[in-house]
Amino acid sequence: MKKYLEYLRKALKDPVIAMLASMLIGAILIIMIKENPLRVYMILLKGAFGSIKDVAGTLLQATPIMISGAAACLAFKSGIFNIGIEGQLYIGGFAAAYLGFAYNLPPVLHTIVALIASMIAGMLWIFLPALFRAKYNTNEVVSTILLNYVAVLITSFLTINVFKIPGGWSETPPVAETACLPHLFSFSRLNLGFVIAVFVIVAMVLYFKKTKSGYECIATGSNYSYAEYGGILTKKVMMRVMLSSGAIAGLAGGIEALGVHRRFMEGFAPGFGFDGVTAALLAASNPIGTAITALFFGALRSGSLLMEVETNISREVITVIQAFIILFISVNIVIKKRKSKGGQK
Amino acid sequence: MIFEIINIALISAAIRTTTPIFLAGIGGTFTSKSGIFNVSLEGQMLISAFCAVVGTYFTGSSIIGVLCGIVSAIILSLLFALFVVSLRANPIVVGLAINIFASGATISIMKAVFATRGSLISSNIVGLPAIEIPFAWEILGEYSEIISGYTPFVYLSFIFLVIVMIIFYKTKLGLYISVVGEKEDAAIAQGINTVKIKYISSILCGFFCGIAGAHLSLGYMTMFTENMSSGRGFMSLAAIAFSNAHPLKLFLGCLVFGFSDTLAMRLQGFGIPSYLILAAPYIVTLLFLFLITYKNRPRIIKETLETMQKALAR
Repeated sequence: MKKYLEYLRKALKDPVIAMLASMLIGAILIIMIKENPLRVYMILLKGAFGSIKDVAGTLLQATPIMISGAAACLAFKSGIFNIGIEGQLYIGGFAAAYLGFAYNLPPVLHTIVALIASMIAGMLWIFLPALFRAKYNTNEVVSTILLNYVAVLITSFLTINVFKIPGGWSETPPVAETACLPHLFSFSRLNLGFVIAVFVIVAMVLYFKKTKSGYECIATGSNYSYAEYGGILTKKVMMRVMLSSGAIAGLAGGIEALGVHRRFMEGFAPGFGFDGVTAALLAASNPIGTAITALFFGALRSGSLLMEVETNISREVITVIQAFIILFISVNIVIKKRKSKGGQK
Repeated sequence: MIFEIINIALISAAIRTTTPIFLAGIGGTFTSKSGIFNVSLEGQMLISAFCAVVGTYFTGSSIIGVLCGIVSAIILSLLFALFVVSLRANPIVVGLAINIFASGATISIMKAVFATRGSLISSNIVGLPAIEIPFAWEILGEYSEIISGYTPFVYLSFIFLVIVMIIFYKTKLGLYISVVGEKEDAAIAQGINTVKIKYISSILCGFFCGIAGAHLSLGYMTMFTENMSSGRGFMSLAAIAFSNAHPLKLFLGCLVFGFSDTLAMRLQGFGIPSYLILAAPYIVTLLFLFLITYKNRPRIIKETLETMQKALAR
């Protein structure tokens, strides 16, 4: 038990410091907008944890961030910047929704098939960047970012031009009852997806700690040429990592589509993929840290809904705070690395 | 039908769309040549587009607006350099943070100051004037549209192209930037202040991204929209990647993107859904990135050797 507490303390120390510093900068920004930062933060807190319903709302918002955070962890730990999680999430979400409304299958099986489809879709969406990264060293940051834009536009096209219900909003027909992820409580849209998210995080911890291929990922990420020298087929690892990362990101979209909206609509999961990337960066690709950061981001998101109603502050202030958290953390990581080299540089 | 799509108006429209991508691309070549992978072009462009609009809104002068834009982008580029060069943080992480910051800050300030969301359109925003080249109509007739009638930065971008070529291939600064980027150890051995060079190239990057952003909101359009840079910074980044940061190739690459964008817009009139049309430039960029990166790869080593020989000969 003590060991785990120590582990937690280590994983959380830097993010917490960075978070507090960024909240301070956020406070300055809030004062400039002529609001009282203490009041704004209290409202944020109330919006996120004020009642059991709000807590469920926070967990609901955190679910896709946790899963896409896990996808980002896997890639970052292996030294690959999959910034295209947002796009993979959109494509995965659409694939799951499509399987949900276009086919009739028995319950449970329908859900499983739809979720698998979302994973395959996410995997396909990252296939070209992965192939070209592994084979020709094409920069994966640029290619995955550009594919985000394409994913959002293509899913919008499919939703509005191909599958739109006549006279309805910009959305597809609803997913069949058999494919939906069941809600956990009657008072919230919080669903089984949250449980899956926890599973994904646990699986990620075990994968890195206990399996050979998890070790190969870490080796490739921390020292590419050493890993290659040590007999690890780094290109194969790279390909495998990118495809799995895309699949997990797709799953995040599938869960959002089947659990929350129960259909696909334009702009259906704004920024969840990016929040996942941010969470993983913040936690230095530690899966548990990522999950905790995701919960924090979920709280910010759910709290900011109330903040927008009760104050003059837009929810994008949260994004500014997030940006500063990343900046502070980015320095922290480096200083730690330099220390561990025994002062060579 | 083909003449309805491809005509003089298309060419001039393509040049207009190319300009912002190319201007940001020039900025990116500086950081790229000095060995920094700079993802923050997008954010620098966006903040400048916003500050340019704010500047004109309150002063009524488009020149002050442009200056505000450039200064804001340079401030972000200094922040980038501070973290990446001085504090040695990961450039991709810092760049992403700057993009997130630019997006969040512009939207929240817009809401706080102007109490609107989405777009900021106002008669107080003074756009940059279109400039007619004298005698262009008399000499070229209807073809004059290709070379005349643009906002100032379209013309200036061609001049910048020449200037940047001169900086990179004829001046000591350009050579130093390349050496720092290609062989940092050798640069240090030569007594080059690598930190200073990286700061200079970051600031120059901010300068050009600032121009790109100001052009976007005051020249290309006369308004500010949430996230209006819409991936142009990343397109420039792709162009830099496959042009190997060579300014002329960069320009040609950006021209291809601008052209595909404009062509797609034209096809909208022929019943192709707008979402697919909006996706076209990104897809073309991706295809180019994939096809050309592989072909360009072996040349990197050769160029390094050439620059090193030049540096040693000095």
